[in-house]
Amino acid sequence: MTLLAFGLYRSVVSSSGTPPFSACDDGVVARAVAAAAPGESPAAETELYRRFAPRVRLFGLKHLSDRGAADDLAQQVMLVVITRLRAGEIREPDQIGSFVLGTSRMMVAGQRRGERRRAAIIARFAPDEGTVEAAYDVALDSTRLAPCVAALRERERSIVLLTYYADKSATEIAAAIGSTAGAVRVSRHRALASIRECIEARRAS
Amino acid sequence: MTTTGTACPSFGELAEYWTSDITPADAERIEAHAFTCERCARMLEEADRLRAGIAALARSGSVQAFVTDAVLNQLARDGVRVRYYALNPGESVQCAVWSDDDVLVTRLRGDFTGVDTVDAELRLDSGDEWSNATGIPVPAGATELVMALPAALVRTAPQIPIRLTLRASGGNQQVLAEYVFNHEGALERAPSSNDRG
Repeated sequence: MTLLAFGLYRSVVSSSGTPPFSACDDGVVARAVAAAAPGESPAAETELYRRFAPRVRLFGLKHLSDRGAADDLAQQVMLVVITRLRAGEIREPDQIGSFVLGTSRMMVAGQRRGERRRAAIIARFAPDEGTVEAAYDVALDSTRLAPCVAALRERERSIVLLTYYADKSATEIAAAIGSTAGAVRVSRHRALASIRECIEARRAS
Repeated sequence: MTTTGTACPSFGELAEYWTSDITPADAERIEAHAFTCERCARMLEEADRLRAGIAALARSGSVQAFVTDAVLNQLARDGVRVRYYALNPGESVQCAVWSDDDVLVTRLRGDFTGVDTVDAELRLDSGDEWSNATGIPVPAGATELVMALPAALVRTAPQIPIRLTLRASGGNQQVLAEYVFNHEGALERAPSSNDRG
């Protein structure tokens, strides 16, 4: 099926020059990068970057706890991934997601060991990412979020503040407000669901 | 478009990823899924935006809430300018908000024995209700509740006494304590001699 899809991709490219990569599986996009001469499949590379750079950034945010470092990680990992795809070094392009995750894990582990940053790779192989949104809009618009947080019940508001602002665990929060860790988690889920609904409702109105 | 071989986690599960409660095994499971599922990757990003937004809101001093020392410590680390008051039951305080304040915090001391949640009501001397909060959690053994108000909100309050009443939630709404804020309004700091040209 993927070969068929790739064949379709080739035929669409040849007929219109505009491959519909956004509608393709990850594997199709990865194989398009691998099949082309280096730098000859900018649309596929851009699509791969668009899909995976945000995920690497999130992974970096979780493990490096720094938005700048997470942005750097996303760029470094995607450069390695695209470079290795171009070189035909990825044996299973259909598993590109796993490969990107594995590369992310290795790089974070490397950074933690104090490994040198890969600035030289970036300088040498940096693809043109001018068409890609490199940094996402981090925080929600406070004018939309504030009334939704204000609408929470006191207990839920305390829990989300302690979780996402003071970075406390459910166990610590339970001790602080006289509850149990399980009840804190339930309240947190409920609070987040309320906030999302509230934001959607305000967007719709 | 991406494909995935495992069931999508709920938004709540994905949001747990951003908490210190997530176990390494669960974090790995979510990561493995998000790297093969664009929809869940987007939800993970949405959860990140949400938590970043909540933190930014707190950091800006815009959240009215009953808080704990953990939140106050984080405000201090973030350089948020906090003005503190402390009141025992029946006490009143001359209070004002200054132009460079971000948050006003009041430690409301009292006897909360046998109470697990309280309701708070802030009423102007004119009789009009100014603000209220219900279901404020009270941990066992607590001797105070910590109320944080955005300075921007307090600046809008009229310059008259404001009475705060704490009641036990539910049932008989027993009054636990009352406090009075003699609100003197929003004050500007006089420029120092160094500020004058």
